Order: sequence, then structure tokens, then C-alpha cells
Amino acid sequence: MSTEAQSTTKPQKPLGLILARNFLTNLSTAAFLVDREGGIIFYNEAAGALLGVSFDEFGRKRAPEWGREVGPFDEDGKPLGIEDLPTTKALRRGRPAHGSFRIRSVTGVDHEIEASAMPISAEGGQEGAMILFWPKEPV
Amino acid sequence: MKAKVWGARGSVPAPGPEMNRYGGNTSCVELELSDSSMLIIDAGTGIRGLGVGLVKKVPKVINILLTHLHLDHIQGLMFFAPCFNADTTITIWGPSSPEASLEERIARYISAPLSPVEVRELPCEVSFIDTPATEWEIGPAKIRAESVTHRGPTLGYRITDTGAGEGPTTLAYISDHEPGLGAPLEKLEPEWISGFDLACKADLLIHDCQYTDEEYPNHVGWGHSPVTDALTFARRVEARRLLLFHHDPLHADSFLDDMYGAAVERWIDLGGDPGTIDMAAEGQELVIRPTDDAAPKAAPARAAPQG
Repeated sequence: MSTEAQSTTKPQKPLGLILARNFLTNLSTAAFLVDREGGIIFYNEAAGALLGVSFDEFGRKRAPEWGREVGPFDEDGKPLGIEDLPTTKALRRGRPAHGSFRIRSVTGVDHEIEASAMPISAEGGQEGAMILFWPKEPV
Repeated sequence: MKAKVWGARGSVPAPGPEMNRYGGNTSCVELELSDSSMLIIDAGTGIRGLGVGLVKKVPKVINILLTHLHLDHIQGLMFFAPCFNADTTITIWGPSSPEASLEERIARYISAPLSPVEVRELPCEVSFIDTPATEWEIGPAKIRAESVTHRGPTLGYRITDTGAGEGPTTLAYISDHEPGLGAPLEKLEPEWISGFDLACKADLLIHDCQYTDEEYPNHVGWGHSPVTDALTFARRVEARRLLLFHHDPLHADSFLDDMYGAAVERWIDLGGDPGTIDMAAEGQELVIRPTDDAAPKAAPARAAPQG
């Protein structure tokens, strides 16, 4: 165990995101956590199974990089526009959003997904969003 | 900066001869700042005794920082003698809520049928401030409040007295806190640990330790820490001294003695200095000094047996 109190090079996350991560960590539903800009700051083990790579391996990604690697894609395999993503809608409108699309694991397996994005708001405004993925077929 | 514990109990007052040494009053800590002014944290039933001592010389201005509005943190408010002194100005700071203002929420307790008096009837001049998201100052103290993991809007406080001749001294007070809820505290990155920035390298950390590790599985999600999580949190933030606080009302003196013994052993296992950990007890007074890492650490003061 590291007992070093690390200097605060990274500012502490808002409590809403900390609690959301704790919640998602313990879910068996694939789930992602994004910051207010849409950057992925965490996904759980179930999401890792879906993508074929754990969050630790995947690292922190911005939305455009994310799209190139795993999608989401439409039925024809074309990348979805960022405006069409439930996450973008949730972050911009501050409202829940739902959508269907495909994603591709790092091993090249495509999954049809239904996704629900829920904004996380606090007194100071939008902190981010959590997105739950339901594959249409068992992984 | 000096601290005095007026109430270390959590949940509900627990009076009785078997509770005499650690005390039965609920959360209240008095701080004496370097300019001799006073700052009060939480207004559990312990604040009543503090108020009694102030009757002969009531301060003109009193600031009370509330972590949250559960009864064990506000129950003593309407029995706090300075509230009934027209010459006193009291400012109460506490967590904001989207539901109602701090004053409106506290007024639910200080009003009928729970109280014979209403807030507007208090003789003192009282004001309520929803704590700002930024650091603010009271006298020589810089104060920061942040939301922490508990049930309902709850704050922890970081108070740095900048006026002391020995250098700044910092107290972190997180009385009700479950940072390990669903999270592996020992390996989580600091940015993801509730309360980390508040408590980082504090000269004294007063922290929730309501349950033994054996009791905790039946209380997961109740907003309080078991021993191991309290100690792990303190080690992760590199607190210089740790005062275990918010004792369960079922824990009598002998039980808390045993709990303390187990905590010291665990603290040593985690690499802590046994002279830097203690159980909070009513009446306990501590001098908070800036810690020189090279100097030997002084053992915290223990409370004299009471009753």
C-alpha cells in the first residue's frame, strides 16, 4: 500500500463523480463515467469485458480518440457523429438520453448496444455523466 | 491552535456511568485560534456544556461550522446559552441543499412541535450561511469545506490557523465519513478518495471511526467508517495525528478501550507511529502544532477520567 500523500497534481474529483465511480465499480452492468467534456474517466470491469480491455490498460481517453478505436458505429459500420451520442446529448442538455449503436472490442468483435446516459449534476453545475451499456446479445 | 472535545459520541447521546470516560454527548469540538478567538465545529449535545462555561463571559461573535444537519450534530443548538444572549452575534455555517436554505432546514428542528422556541425568537443575533465553494477566512483561520461521503449533504472542514508564531497549523475535521464505501481505499488514486484534499498532511485529523471491522458489514452504506478504513484513510492522506471520533452509542468505555488497542495494533501494521493515534474523549484538550517530520512526535493528550 502506498502511504504517500501525493501532492495534488490532479485536483480531487467532485463528490458526485467519486460516488458514481464507487457505484459503477460494483455493478455487473457495463458502465462508463465521463467528465463534463465527455472524456472517459472510468469504466467498470463489465465494460472492460465488453471492450476486451480493462480501464487501467485503456487509459484516459478523449471522445474523438475513443470513437476511432471502439466506436460507436452505425449499422453500416460508419462512425457516429459526436452529436448523435447519448453521452453528448446528456452533457449538453442536462437530460437523460438513450440510443442504440454498435461498438467494436479491441479483439475485433462487434456488439450491438443500447446505451443510457445520465447527467451528473451538482450545485456547481454539470460534473459529468454515467453511461450504462446493455448489449442486445449476451457477451 | 487548541482543540477541546465537548462531545465525541455519534448518532444519539449515550449517557451513563459506563460511558463516563469517553462521554455520552454528541459531536462538538471547540477550537481556540491563535488570536484567542473561538470557533466551534458541530452543535451536538456537547455544545450545551460549552455554552454553560461561556455564561460569565459570552463572546460577542461566535462562529459555528456544521458538518451536516443530522440531529447528533445540531441537537445542542437550542440549549447553547449564548443563543439566549442579546449581545451575541452567532453565525452558523453549514452545507447547502437544493431543497431549502440552511436556515429553513435548521428551523425545522428549532420550531414546533420539536422546540418551544423558534429561530426568530432567539435573543441573539443569528445568521445562517450556506458554505461557499471557495476558501474563506474567520480571524486567523483559513477554512475550506468540501462535500464528503455520508448520507445527505455533508461537509468536512480543513481549518488552517495562519497566525501562530510556530507556523501554520491545520486541523481536518471529518466526523461522519465513509470513504471506503464500494471503494478500495488502500489502492485508489488520491483524486478519487472522498476527503483526500481536505485531510492531506493535516497536523490533526479528527475522523469518523464508529464501527469495529466486525460490526461494519451490518452497517455498510450508513455513512460511517470501520477502524481499518479510518486508519487507511489517515495513512493515505499522511495525517500527522489522528483522533478517532463519532463513537457508536452502544460502545461503552471498556469496549472503546479494546477498540483503541486494536486500532493501535492496526496503525502500527500500516506503518503508523503509535504515539500519533488516540480515541476522542469528552473533555480532551489538544494543542495542535505544526509537525516537524524530523522531530519526535508527542503523544496526544488523553482525557482525564470524568465522573
